[in-house]
Amino acid sequence: MANPRELDKRRKSIRNIRKITRTMELIATARFRKAMDRANAATAYTNQIMKLVRDLTNAGVAVEHPLLEQRSDTANATLLVLAANRGFCGGFNGNVTRAGLSHLKTLREEAGEVRVEVSGKRGISGFKQGRVAADETFTQFEDKPAYDEVEVIANRYLEDYAAGRLDRLDVVYTRFESVSKQHATVETLLPLGGLDVNEQEQDEQRSSTVYEFLPSPESILEEVVPTSFRVKLFKCFLDTAVSEQIARMVAMKGATENAGDLIKQLSMQYNRARQGQITSELMDLIGGVEAIS
Amino acid sequence: MAETVTSTADLKLVVVTPEATVLDVTADFVALPLYDGEKGVARGHAPMIGRMGFGELRYRVNDETAKYYVDGGFVQVQDNEISVLTNRALDIDQLDAAAAKEQLDEALTRTTSNPEEMAIRERLLLQARAQIRLAEKA
Repeated sequence: MANPRELDKRRKSIRNIRKITRTMELIATARFRKAMDRANAATAYTNQIMKLVRDLTNAGVAVEHPLLEQRSDTANATLLVLAANRGFCGGFNGNVTRAGLSHLKTLREEAGEVRVEVSGKRGISGFKQGRVAADETFTQFEDKPAYDEVEVIANRYLEDYAAGRLDRLDVVYTRFESVSKQHATVETLLPLGGLDVNEQEQDEQRSSTVYEFLPSPESILEEVVPTSFRVKLFKCFLDTAVSEQIARMVAMKGATENAGDLIKQLSMQYNRARQGQITSELMDLIGGVEAIS
Repeated sequence: MAETVTSTADLKLVVVTPEATVLDVTADFVALPLYDGEKGVARGHAPMIGRMGFGELRYRVNDETAKYYVDGGFVQVQDNEISVLTNRALDIDQLDAAAAKEQLDEALTRTTSNPEEMAIRERLLLQARAQIRLAEKA
């Protein structure tokens, strides 16, 4: 029979663990709400941009821009992997790292030079384990990625792309679809595939408004395209932040529940062991009394 | 279009950045920094889409004027609603003149070899100069 004192000790330590995981779950929930609000704010911006593009195309502008054109050969490609700085979030970091490593393989076959950039400490260590040296690493992105910081990176990509040092940019991140569904995805951000204008919607909303363009629709489009790239990249960072908090919430909820089950089981074992001990002590006593009489 | 809009309707100003909706207010008059100069918008303005430059956005409501620095972007005016899309919108007091000066110096020493790089340099210069100008005014 197990030692009751030993069992009690274990039960106590599991209680402590449960306290910690529950707190982490609560923190993750609070952070998730905040991250979600930020993501919604970004959606307001993208909706406005889309409306703008729709009105531009309604005005009869052909959507053409160097950033939208596919290049005939990709000599230099960059792979950007977005993971988290912290663990304790289930398969979140592992999924992104795995998707990143497998995509790197295919990308290496298609492009000559592949630069690898990783964000998040967990992603960095994951790539180290996969024996891939990252050319650049970022650790400054926590649960609240700032647009200014993302913009610096986006502008660097745009500069490289304009100068011909970069032909393709792929981003591996955890896409947020709904609170119960997020998964690691690979997206090609440069060249931009298109400007995401919903064709059907476009027909429905073909408004009669005639806009005055300052200076000209073409010039505005020229500016809209890089802006929409920056916002898209920013959205990737935001999605990563939101998904990380959700993953942590779910993982910690599971851990708390498991701890509860374990405590129940240990309590039962402990009670049984205690009862056993008492019984054997009683038996001893009775045996002693009988021996005397 | 303009016929349906009465001149007494409220003029709405909405400023959104990728991070947040900075302003959502009604105003009597709004001055916007367009790419080549300032443009004023009052009630009943014709529909317009404009490209903005770096500079000062002012709006007046009840004879009080609020000033913001906006970092390029676009403006769309329709049905007495002005929506401004910009990378950054800062209260004038929050501008950092020192950082802007640094950016200006860095941009001035940049060498360019193609039109795209030149455009980037030009952009950095305009941005830095606008920030310095506004920070000194504040």
